[in-house]
This record gives sequence, C-alpha cells and structure tokens, in this order.
Amino acid sequence: MSTPAIEVKNLRYAYPDGTQALRDVSFAIQQGEAVGLVGANGAGKSTLLLHLTGSLRPAQGEIWIMGEQLLPKTKKAVRSRVGLVFQDPDDQLFMPTVEEDVAFGPLHGGCSSEEVERRVAVALEKVGMTRQRARPPYRLSAGEKRAVAIATVLSMSPDALLMDEPSTHLDPRSRRRLIEWLRSYSKARVIATHDLELVVEVCSRVIVLSDGEIVADGPTQTVLNDEPLMLAHGLERPHILLHHHPHDH
Amino acid sequence: MHMADALISPTMGGTLWAASAGLIAYCARKVRASAAEHLTPLMGVLGAFIFASQMINVAIPGTGSSGHLSGGLILAILLGPYAAFLVIASVLVVQALFFADGGLLALGCNIFNMGFFAAFVAYPLIYRPLARDEYNTPRAWGASLLAAIVALQLGAFGVVLETTMSGITDLAFSSFALLMQPIHLGIGLVEGLATAAVVAFVGNARPEVLSVRLAPTRSRSLRPVYIGLIAVTVLIGGVASWFASTRPDGLEWSLEKITGETELAAPAEGAHDRLAAIQERSAIMPDYDFKSAPAEGEESPNWPAVGAGTSVSGIVGGAMTMGIAILIGLAVRMGARSRERTVG
Amino acid sequence: MRWLDVGQIDDMGRMNSPIHHLDARAKLIVTLAFIVVVMSFDRYAISALTPFFLFLAVLIAAARLPMAPLLRKLLLAAPFAVLVGAFNPFFDHQPVLQIGGWTISGGWISFTNILLRFVLTVGAALVLLATTGMYRLCAALEQLGVPPIFVTQLLFLYRYLFVISDEGAQMVRSVRMRSGVRGLSFREYGGLVGHLLMRSLDRAERVHQAMLTRGFDGNIRRLDSRRFGLSDALFLIFCLSVFIVARSWNLAEHLGRLLN
Repeated sequence: MSTPAIEVKNLRYAYPDGTQALRDVSFAIQQGEAVGLVGANGAGKSTLLLHLTGSLRPAQGEIWIMGEQLLPKTKKAVRSRVGLVFQDPDDQLFMPTVEEDVAFGPLHGGCSSEEVERRVAVALEKVGMTRQRARPPYRLSAGEKRAVAIATVLSMSPDALLMDEPSTHLDPRSRRRLIEWLRSYSKARVIATHDLELVVEVCSRVIVLSDGEIVADGPTQTVLNDEPLMLAHGLERPHILLHHHPHDH
Repeated sequence: MHMADALISPTMGGTLWAASAGLIAYCARKVRASAAEHLTPLMGVLGAFIFASQMINVAIPGTGSSGHLSGGLILAILLGPYAAFLVIASVLVVQALFFADGGLLALGCNIFNMGFFAAFVAYPLIYRPLARDEYNTPRAWGASLLAAIVALQLGAFGVVLETTMSGITDLAFSSFALLMQPIHLGIGLVEGLATAAVVAFVGNARPEVLSVRLAPTRSRSLRPVYIGLIAVTVLIGGVASWFASTRPDGLEWSLEKITGETELAAPAEGAHDRLAAIQERSAIMPDYDFKSAPAEGEESPNWPAVGAGTSVSGIVGGAMTMGIAILIGLAVRMGARSRERTVG
Repeated sequence: MRWLDVGQIDDMGRMNSPIHHLDARAKLIVTLAFIVVVMSFDRYAISALTPFFLFLAVLIAAARLPMAPLLRKLLLAAPFAVLVGAFNPFFDHQPVLQIGGWTISGGWISFTNILLRFVLTVGAALVLLATTGMYRLCAALEQLGVPPIFVTQLLFLYRYLFVISDEGAQMVRSVRMRSGVRGLSFREYGGLVGHLLMRSLDRAERVHQAMLTRGFDGNIRRLDSRRFGLSDALFLIFCLSVFIVARSWNLAEHLGRLLN
C-alpha cells in the first residue's frame, strides 16, 4: 500500500481550561479515499481538523501528512498539502475579490506570478466559478461562496481536502452540485458533517467521534446502519439508508 | 462631530492631514514591530463591528432620545492606542467615502479629533490609570465615563477651533464653542456609559479578551506622540492662524509667491469701488463682535477684491455653466435609462 | 438601508468606461487636487466655482454613472454643512450686491458658497469611489506609500462590514420581536452589543486561522496591479491644468462677458 495521505497516531489534546477534546485518536486515510467524520456537537470534529492543518498543537501524539511528520518547523510546508474548507465561507473569503482569495494560498506559498495565474484559472474552472472571478465575496450566493471557498484551497493543490460542515446553508440544488463535485474529486477527502445523507453518497468509510474518542471506524453502510451505535452517540440512521434498504426492517 | 470639507480651509485641512498621516505611519510601525500578526484581521473586524454596533441604539434615560457608540474608547480598550488609532482612522475613511460624512479634505481633521484624543489622551492618561484591569466596578464605570467625556470635549473643541480658524463660517469662536461643547458633554456621557456597559458584559463573559491589547507599558513610550502633538499645535497656532487671519489664503499666498501678484482673477470692474460706497452708506457693524474669527486686529471685514458673484458677467456666466452641467446630467440620466431598457 | 448603498456605489466601481479604466492613483490625485482647489477659493466665490460643476458633470457623463444614487448620497450628507453655513446670513449683513431692488448680504453669498463647495467636494469623492471601487482605491493607497498594515485592515474592515452588519441586524430584529420598539437600557445594550463584539472577536480568530492555513506569515502579498500608463499620465496632466486655469481665471465670468 502506498503512503497514507494522513496518518494520526495517539493524538491527545485538552483545551486551555482542562477539558479533554481528543483522547488517544489514531487513524490513517489513504490517498484518494473519502472519509466521513461524524459525531454530536462538541465531539471533537473541528478540533481534529484544526490539528490536521497544524493550527492547533497536539499535547501528545503524531500527525503525518503524505509521509512527512507535522512539526512546528515543517508546519509551513505541510500546511500547503492539506486544505481546510471552513464551515463559514465568510471566514475563508477574506480578500476583496474572488480572484485575490483564490490567489492568496499560491502567492503565500511562493509561486511565481505566472504559476499563480495558472492555478487560479484551474481552481476556478474546477468549481465552475470562472465567471465570478472579479466579483467581491459579498455579491456571491451561498452556493457560490462555498464553491469559491473550495477553490481557494484547490489552488494550493493539496494532497488532502478537509471540509467542515460543507453543506450548511446550501439550498438543495447547490448541495446536489457539491455532492457531485465531491464524488468526482480524486484526492483524499475528510468531511466532518452532520449531513449523514451526504456522507452516504460521498464517503466509503466513516469515523465516529464521541467525546474526543473514536468509537467506530468502518465502511459507511455498516457504521451508519448500526442503529444502537448511532443513537448512543447523538446521531441517527440516515433516511437514505432506510429508503435504500427497506428489507432491513 | 464630523467636520465637513465645505467648512475648512485647505491650509487647515492640509496641516491636520499631515498630522494624521504622521500618526498613522507611526502607529503602523508600532503595530508591525509588535509582530502580532493576528492583529490585522482583528483590527479590520473590529472596525466593521463599530459600524454594526451603530445600528443598535441605547435609550438615554429621561430624554426620550437614543444614542450609540462612536467607538474610539472601546477600540482603545480592546486594542491599545496604536492599533485603535488605525482602526478609528479606517472607520472615518469608510464614512467619508461611502456616507460622505465629513469629506476627504476634512478627513485629516476628523481622524485627529476623534482618533488622537481617544487613543492617545483619554485611554492612556485617564482610562488605564483609573480603571486598571477592572471592569464592571464603580471604578471602571467612572473611568469610562470620564475618559469618554474628556475625549469628546477635546474632539469637539478641535472641531470648533479648526472650523473658526478656517474662516469660512461666520459663526464666531465663542458661539460655536457654546453650541458644541454642551452637546458633546451629553454625547460623551452616553459614549462613556455605553462603553462601560459593553466592557462589563464582555469582561464577565470572557475576561481574557480584555487583556490582549497592545499597550505601551510605560507612559514614556508615548512621548513621541505628545511631542508630535505639540508640534502640530504650534504649527496650527502659528502658521494656520496667520493664514486664516489674512485674506490671501494658503493657496493664494503660494500663488502670490509664484506669480508675484495676488489678484490673478481680479475682474477690475470697479466692483471694489461700488462696494466701498455701499459699505459707507450702510455702516452695519454691530455684528462685528460676533464674527470675531481668531484674527485680532482685523479692522473691517476685508471684502474680497476677487469679487466673484459681484458682477453681472459672473452671474450670467455662472448660470450658463451650471446650465450646461445640468444638461449633461440630464443626458446621462436618459442615457442610463435607455441602457437599462436594453439590458432589462 | 445604508449598507445596501455601500454596495451600490462600490458596484458602480466595476462598471466599464474610459474613466473606470484609468489608474486609481491618477484618479485619487486628481480628486484630492480638485477638492483642494475648490476649497482654496474665496468664501464669496460663486460664479468662479461653476466651471468645477462642469468638470464633475463631464466625468460623470464619461463614466456613464447613474445620477440618482449619487444625488441621494449628497442629500443624506448635507445636514451638517447646511446647518453651520446657515448661520452666515444671520451674522453677516454686509450688503455686497444689488440686483434690481434686492440687496444681497455677504452672509447669503458665503452661505451659497458653502453649499456649492459642499456639493463639489462630496460629489468629487463619490465620483472617485464610483469610478474606482473600494478595492482598487485601497491598492492605490498602498502604491502611493500608505503603510500596508493600514491598507490591509482597511480592506478587512470593508470586507466584514457586510458580514457583521448582517449579524447585528439579525440581533436587532430578534430583540425587537421580544421587547417591541422600546429603547434598550444600558445593561441590555451592553449585553447585546457585547454579544455582537464577542461574535466579532470569534470571527477575527477564525479569519486568522483561515489565513494561516493558506500560508499567511504576517505579510499580505497581492497580485501585481497594472502599471501607470500614458493615458493615466495624460489624464492627470490634463485635469491638473484645467484646475490651474479655472483657479486662475474666473471662466464663468469670461463667458458671461463674452455673451453680454
């Protein structure tokens, strides 16, 4: 098997006030794999994502990205290999125009201006936002904002894409487009969400976090169909599975 | 208390532009040197917060009216004087550009009046020493009240001084001051209470927020700023008042230097003589006491030799020019309409 | 609502016209020069100011800007200048001009002068913004030597103006639903605005995180902006010459004399 895109070993983290946020978390995500990260509010999903981008420093444990360990001194290089799409696109689109936002990553990663130009064009093309290039973020719809937020990360050509609640505030059509796009994307994807229907459609594997611990890690159908497990951790069986497998009952 | 472009002279505007620009450069250096890179987004977002907070009004007890934050003091409490000054300046830039509050020429005055006194006088000299790190104690409320009142009184005084010294309004220094200072006592009161209320709430909910500011540790580090203030005062007091008191204003004065003659635009229509005659006939001088501008020793209002508007030619020509301008405006509107139709 | 207007003027800045295509630096300098020249006129100047209206009108026409929103802005901003200027007729009774049987005092002339100055200076600033947009204007400021940190946080302010105002408007609405239109006490006010402030602080923190994950290290790098071209230089020189001519000779009066 090739190098995993992301590997986490015995990760622990506590908030400054002493609350345990992550307890001995370990998993590996292969290149090209799509993994759903689910769990109730406060289970530690966002905290885990922030660790994977080096924004939070683990109290204990190791994080490896494409075979390279994430350490304070490698942080800058490793960061460009994982792209985090924030829950609220307004946090991520902080520049005056779509173009400048998408260019921000490559520019700060030291690309030449021709290279920046090329990457911006490619990233916007991939999410279908080429026409919105010169617009300011406040003139975009929720779906467009989400797409541009993804483009700001794609322009850094990451090896893994992390998403925090990607489907919030999207109308059904925008959500459908997002799902189609996520299915077609070929790199590793980690999607932290309450939208279990989306997980069923996009991810082949699911990790369930509860109180900072991994309580389940396995194929999507198996994990999400485990009703007692779902209920025990503040989740429920997605309707899409009930619908697809009526004979289960 | 935004000053408007229309009321100040270029000399006054220019002097305070220079002062504010100098302060911005100085503060930017200080903020940069602190290497607190998280400050940049924080400053921008807090500037936006000040705007948003102005949509929320607080009832002023016993008056039936309401007020809102103008924001200088709370920014200084959250960010320290340097970053706060930059944010206040940006808030004013956006107000000047988008809401036409003030104007571009008066921007320097406005930044100085509202930013300097809040960030570099009221906060470090009054609020910090009095409130220390307390919030929601009588001490902290008192400090906030006093600091806001002082900041707004000084700011309002700045407005009065700069406006009357510009010599465009006939409002005398004393009457303008009598108008502005009491109003701003009220505004300062509201500002102080509103600031204290917000600080009390945030301090209770999240005390760590109130201790992240970038503050000068000793008062000595503010010394360059105060030296700058003195320089500006001297500059305004000396140069500007001289400019204001003599009729040839700044630009004319420099034009005179360049061309060697003052009255480039003098129509020489004999208007001057006519005027003198009228003046003799109707010696209406009782108002003179009111229009005292800071110019002592001005014997009579110097009627401008550049008697714009005094000759018939001026009126006809002016009306013609305005007419052309309005016609262009109408043409534009019709053009815009037809474009809308084709687009829609 | 004020916020919508902000977007409207800024949107105009992305229109297409020869004026819009000019370099923002040239337009900024011309606007500042325009304001200084207008302000340098004598306080009794009226006809000499009219050519400057012509200048603005030509700019607006060439930029194909819609008039109505600009005029609305002007009216909204008017009160302070009008208020202070309105004192002049009371204090200055010096008769300076007689037309037919009417004697006009210096106070009325200088009041008119203040109004004209107001329309010209505010109008010029609006036209600058409406032909340039906030973003290019900020880029110009930085190119002209304004400290980058100031420009960057100004851009952030502008960017989050809409986001945070929306949050504030939502909070105001929910408070109104619960307590009617009654004014807030200082304690309630502190709670509401304090809450908005904490949300803003969280927002700033998340924005900072988002910047860090994309390689921010304290310096913001920007795309190369366009160069100052020949047409920009010509525009600058032309406008400045017009100002000097209009400042030195009362063009309106010359026109009037020609017609008489």
